[in-house]
Amino acid sequence: MNLAVAVTDLRKSFGRNEVLKGVSLAAREGEVISIIGASGSGKSTLLRCIPMLEVPDGGEVAIAGETIRMRERHGRREPADAAQVNRIRGELGFVFQTFNLWAHMTVLQNVIEAPVHVQKRPRAECVAEARDILEKVGLGEKLDAYPAHLSGGQQQRAAIARALAMRPKALLFDEPTSALDPELVGEVLRVMRALAAEGRTMLIVTHEMGFAAEVSTRAVFLADGRIEEEGPPAQVFGDPLTERCRQFVGRHLNR
Amino acid sequence: MDLLIDYVTLIGFGPTGWGWQLARATFLTISVSACAYLAGLVFGTLGAWGKLSASRAAHGVTDAYTTIIRGVPDLLVIYLFYFGGSTVMTKLGQMFGASGFWGLNGFMVGVLAVGVVSGAYQTEVLRGAFLAIPKGEIEAARAVGMGRLLMLRRIIGPRVLRFGLPGMGNVWQQVLKESALISVTGLAEIMRQIHIGAGSTHQPFDFYVTGFLLYLALTTVSGQLFRWAEGWTLVPERRAA
Amino acid sequence: MDFDFLGDTMMKLLAGVPLTLQLTAISVAIGAALAILLAVLRAVSRPGEYFVRFYVFCLRGTPLLLQIFLIYYGLGQFAFVRESILWPFLRQPYWCAILALSLNTAAYGSEIVRGGLQSVPAGAIEAARAAGMSKLLMYRRIILPLALRQALPAYGNEMVIMVKSTSLASIVTLMEVSGISYAIISETYRALEVFLCAGSIYLVINFLITRAVAAVEYRITPHLRPVST
Repeated sequence: MNLAVAVTDLRKSFGRNEVLKGVSLAAREGEVISIIGASGSGKSTLLRCIPMLEVPDGGEVAIAGETIRMRERHGRREPADAAQVNRIRGELGFVFQTFNLWAHMTVLQNVIEAPVHVQKRPRAECVAEARDILEKVGLGEKLDAYPAHLSGGQQQRAAIARALAMRPKALLFDEPTSALDPELVGEVLRVMRALAAEGRTMLIVTHEMGFAAEVSTRAVFLADGRIEEEGPPAQVFGDPLTERCRQFVGRHLNR
Repeated sequence: MDLLIDYVTLIGFGPTGWGWQLARATFLTISVSACAYLAGLVFGTLGAWGKLSASRAAHGVTDAYTTIIRGVPDLLVIYLFYFGGSTVMTKLGQMFGASGFWGLNGFMVGVLAVGVVSGAYQTEVLRGAFLAIPKGEIEAARAVGMGRLLMLRRIIGPRVLRFGLPGMGNVWQQVLKESALISVTGLAEIMRQIHIGAGSTHQPFDFYVTGFLLYLALTTVSGQLFRWAEGWTLVPERRAA
Repeated sequence: MDFDFLGDTMMKLLAGVPLTLQLTAISVAIGAALAILLAVLRAVSRPGEYFVRFYVFCLRGTPLLLQIFLIYYGLGQFAFVRESILWPFLRQPYWCAILALSLNTAAYGSEIVRGGLQSVPAGAIEAARAAGMSKLLMYRRIILPLALRQALPAYGNEMVIMVKSTSLASIVTLMEVSGISYAIISETYRALEVFLCAGSIYLVINFLITRAVAAVEYRITPHLRPVST
């Protein structure tokens, strides 16, 4: 069985606040895992630890079987090999809550930036591929637009295209619709639904319970820095085993 | 070690030292800068008043003033006052029956020239500070029946100081450094004095480094004073302890 | 008004314009490169930060004229300077003026670039990290392009100040516009007329620079413009 992403016993504190208290999670190829939980439960931190945007204080991260090597320095853990981290980041597509498109580049330039300069693939090939991807996310007409000229939904779709252009082994979504006006959420979810249907490996931190129940192959409920409940969406969203999960889902599904 | 002793003797207050001259030069730099700064405050206040006034003419004059000063080297302004001033003074002297050559001394040239230059920058600072006052505060002053002068003294003045002080501090630093240019008139402030010392002892590096340290000390200490003053204008806005 | 004198003066002063422009262009170019270097150094390393802060403190806390004199007259006190390979340069007022002007504008410029660096949104950097960019690539492709665009208007002011600052080179004998002005004034004592001529030359140069910077700014910030429909 091929594990696209595997984290083992992940721990992370911010100052005295212990956000992750030993979380293990593995995603097989083609799995779509939704990660839910109250704010402050550590779900975003968990996702951000995977490409080392946050450096975990303990535990391991492995992408496609390759473990990110860590070391101790001045009493703090850090990745041992920056080049390895950068290469692995290139194998993951990360989608941020606030899109984080590069403001000085057009949509097309945003999408081909990392393939050309990080993965050093031929520009012509990257441009051709970027056009296809942008067409797929519905931005075929917006190649030369600057981010500031796009709606939030369009920006997020461009950001998803940017992540796809890296030919990632897994896609990580960090609350991708939380910063959007309600009427723009649908267009982003539609793109994500299509990606799930393609069989891509996805880890999604989200508050969109209905969407999560529908697309994910597995759901994980995080509370107080630990995995409180984990299972098929039918169980986690429909008939949770734990009381906390039942309360959380009950509160959110009714909205 | 010997080097250090030699240096201390050179700039010290002993019989062969330049200490007294340097102290006097430092005093001159401070006084000419302070007077120029005050002159600049006057010009700046007039300038800000002109820029904020509804009068087209006042607008035009102050716009021309700040545009010219900010686009022309300060050195040329000093030449204008130094050479031009003496021409005007000589003409004035002739009008009143005096004969011969009359000139402005270096100190007066410095105060006027640096004052006019810094006044242009001060204009923008004061104008910006005035515009930063919330409109409601001025309306409230009007509502309680304050006259223009009273309002200027009790409300606008203190508020302009509050919003303008950081910029005013920058203008002071600029004045202090610009005062070095007055050395071209022969006024024996720091720059001129160390140049003389450098020439007559053949130890130019020692003297210029001394000047370097003197200016650094002046800008640092006065910068600190302005920061204190800033803190003091912020007192009413600080939360109660 | 004596138009013959004005015309004559103007012609003499215009002969100094190339030198004024040259001093400005070379020192702004060197100074800007140094400024970027200093600002980045300050941002990426702790010892670098202390060094740059000290550098900026020294150069902003003292008059430019003193810095020119220190280099032109001061350095020659030492035998090792006089015997070094740099001496053919350091003994010429031209190179001393350029050195002092460059070092001076680098200090002010580094603060402007620093402001630009601080304005780069954290999200843009985060996205660059997530894309696997190395620090160097990130600076080259994302951080500096955003920071320099932001810093350009303020840097335009710095260029205008530099045009004015080149006038100090006249005090170490360089005959640029201000140097020629001084020569004419001390010969004729017609300060006002010469001031008018020299002043208008500087105003024109600075006006052109301001417009050029605005044009460049317009060109490189299409992302900040409203969409044309």
